[in-house]
Amino acid sequence: MFRLPDPFAVMTVDGEQTHTTSVMKRTLTPYWNESFIINARSSSVVAIQVFDQKKFKKKGQGFLGVINFQIGQHLNLSVPGEKTIHQELKNSNSAEPVQGRLIVQLDMNINSNQPSVPTRIQPAAQAGPPQRQDVQQAARTDVSTRPSQAPPSVSATPAQTQQFDESLPQGWEQRVDHSGRIYYVDHTKRQTTWRRPTLGSSANGYPANVSEAQRRQHQNRRLPGSDANSGTESTLVNSTLGALPSGWEQRHTPEGRPYFVNHLARTTTWEDPRVRNPSSVSGARAAAIAGIANQTAAQLGPMPSGWEMRLTNQGRVYFVDHNTKTTTWDDPRLPSNLDQNVPQYKRDFRRKYIYFRSQMAMRPLPGQCHVKVRRNEIFGDAFNSIMRLPVTELKKRLMIKFDGEDGLDYGGVSREFFLLVSHDMFNPEYCLFQYSAHDEYTLQINPHSDVNPEHLNYFRFIGRTLGLAIFHRRFLDAFFTTSFYKMILKKPITLEDMQGVDAEMYNSLKWVLDNDVTDMGFTFTVEDDHFGERDEIELKEGGKDIEVTEENKQEFVDLKVRYLICDRVKEQFDAFLSGFHELILPDLIQVFDERELELLIGGLADIDMDDWKKHTDYRGYTESDQVVQWFWKCVKEMDAEHQARLLQFTTGTSRIPVNGFKDLQGSDGPRRFTIEKSGDTVALPKSHTCFNRIDLPPYTEYDTLKNKLTLAIENTVGFGQE
Amino acid sequence: MALKRITKELAEISRDPPSSCSAGPANGSDMFHWQATIMGPSDSPYASGVFFLSIHFPTDYPFKPPKINFTTRIYHPNINHNGSICLDILKDQWSPALTISKVLLSISSMLTDPNPDDPLVPEIAHIYKSDRAKYESTAKEWTRKYASKS
Repeated sequence: MFRLPDPFAVMTVDGEQTHTTSVMKRTLTPYWNESFIINARSSSVVAIQVFDQKKFKKKGQGFLGVINFQIGQHLNLSVPGEKTIHQELKNSNSAEPVQGRLIVQLDMNINSNQPSVPTRIQPAAQAGPPQRQDVQQAARTDVSTRPSQAPPSVSATPAQTQQFDESLPQGWEQRVDHSGRIYYVDHTKRQTTWRRPTLGSSANGYPANVSEAQRRQHQNRRLPGSDANSGTESTLVNSTLGALPSGWEQRHTPEGRPYFVNHLARTTTWEDPRVRNPSSVSGARAAAIAGIANQTAAQLGPMPSGWEMRLTNQGRVYFVDHNTKTTTWDDPRLPSNLDQNVPQYKRDFRRKYIYFRSQMAMRPLPGQCHVKVRRNEIFGDAFNSIMRLPVTELKKRLMIKFDGEDGLDYGGVSREFFLLVSHDMFNPEYCLFQYSAHDEYTLQINPHSDVNPEHLNYFRFIGRTLGLAIFHRRFLDAFFTTSFYKMILKKPITLEDMQGVDAEMYNSLKWVLDNDVTDMGFTFTVEDDHFGERDEIELKEGGKDIEVTEENKQEFVDLKVRYLICDRVKEQFDAFLSGFHELILPDLIQVFDERELELLIGGLADIDMDDWKKHTDYRGYTESDQVVQWFWKCVKEMDAEHQARLLQFTTGTSRIPVNGFKDLQGSDGPRRFTIEKSGDTVALPKSHTCFNRIDLPPYTEYDTLKNKLTLAIENTVGFGQE
Repeated sequence: MALKRITKELAEISRDPPSSCSAGPANGSDMFHWQATIMGPSDSPYASGVFFLSIHFPTDYPFKPPKINFTTRIYHPNINHNGSICLDILKDQWSPALTISKVLLSISSMLTDPNPDDPLVPEIAHIYKSDRAKYESTAKEWTRKYASKS
């Protein structure tokens, strides 16, 4: 059966100076874009061989062709110059046909007496494998959709090339395996690892502007109901089958299909070693499907009659309807159209999430999308790549590469990418976003972003990046005001949303509604300070001359809220949304509410209960009070999603400051999480998000507390508690 | 709207100034920046001192509170060395019905009755609570040093 190769190239100069490119996965059109410096004379012969990494280990297989050329044919070594070489691939010794062309760029620097030639291996068009005659551009899509049957090879065999790297800790050595990947040998412990060891804690190769705490917090983000960092599926399998035998490791292909590495025998297999009948793939699959079926049945109920759940080769769940003899990706137990008025689905993030992910428009397209960025230029590089690539390209499996780093993107690299890029995009110093007046971490669009004339392009980029992160199941390290999420969901903005934007303004507008404003001299205008220039903007036509009265004050408040939250950033928001909708369709994202959208974008952080409890203040209670102890017991028993919702309820966001709960901010500076004794024992708990405070009535029974608290945090819509 | 309101307040404060306070634009052209004075209340250790304050009106005034700072140094549990004032009506208890005149009166009464339970300078609050005589002598000393007319 034909499948796509994983090509990589090896370059030698007169049989020496071996350089190896990284491996491109499953492609007939690899684009390595790597540079090597070689030393060569005019008579030197450069050989570049292309191999398929999958078949490379087997003798006589995996060879995809070679080109040979003499430096002197292409460059005159007495003058600096550059030359791009296009050469057909040949087969060196056997008669097996190969097909394809390699493009190499030579740049020459004359370096004292030794000319050195940095060689850039540029897009190598169609390095086709042997045995296949019709490898053409047109055939690509067809071919690449076929699933591969062979597990990717993971090898830890010692390599021929040895190279000592001075920056490594003592006792460590850097080696390159046969497929060109760098690995590290710890001679002290006699271990090998793919991860580069570090000299000290500071020399970890990451820029200092992202603290380890931030990175750790970000890397551990996940969605409600899923285990940290791993897909639901493997969790389910793990819970069904127990831990892997020692020496075994579970990994995932770029498509997300799990496979198993036997480090002892240095082999890989699709088959789960925990399943009895190791020769049968269907055995493992049956066990996995049984696990998933049990799990989902608990939440969604049994399958309708005549329906069956199955797993594809790629490990994806699909459904067979034996009644009509059809298959579908969509779970028949999920509503096809999520009605906002159906209460039982309204709070069930997980159900919505399954529905959201099962939609056709949310499925990655076959192929890979390579994005290469420099760490120190990540904003510009990300902007250029993400805006340049067509959406159909961005929907392919994302492969991020940091310039000069070897990490292959099996998730970690793109997680890092979205962490770094979100720090730049939302950095208030770039004036695109600013912190709300409420605290120092929820973001909103900066109404004066037009100080940057290109700002609308950047907002479209940010929208695309946000969509890209959601599409590829990555999180951004960014939390927005509730109203921003509501605007994405096209929900109406109300006065209550003002609380999270500007608490003082909220208080004043509330005062307007609650008090007699006759003769206060208010008119239907709003003032804006644009870099020292004051503008008076009319909230409606002729607003300058319309006095706010008892009769029209509700309209005044509505218009003012709409202006302050939406209208003054309309251009920016529209640009943002146009970028976002290129990847995520509006009707799909609208199944979520604003709290769920926050979790979808930012993920769920691990909440440190001890830290939370330690940095909590009490008003009217002491920590030893029975009801306070019940409160913490109840919180401890909650799942992560409910804990996050409690935080959203009390503080307005599920975000925890990087340094923990001690840095929690309120609208007027630091405000720790506070529990206040307030309210009647039949009432629900209330919250004051400006002050991170929850009013907890002195309930007399644990069950009452639990019910009331759960009801309060599950049913908060906006901030209607005040 | 803000300018109209500020102009109205200026007219009122000139016509009917609050006792022992005064306020007006710091320089003629900018109505959004005022200077105010508060005479130290006679029943406080700040008696006979003259304290200057700067007032900045936000663009959204009176929907947002004015920003008020002491520019004269003062020894007080609720006022720090930058002149920042910890007063609820300048923060979450602000309401559009308040005026500069009312705010200055509140600050004046805060000089007579500090609030050591919600302090901006915990050290001064501690001394105020534990050694009132020391607090009063230091406050008098600072008033003489920084807020005397001469």
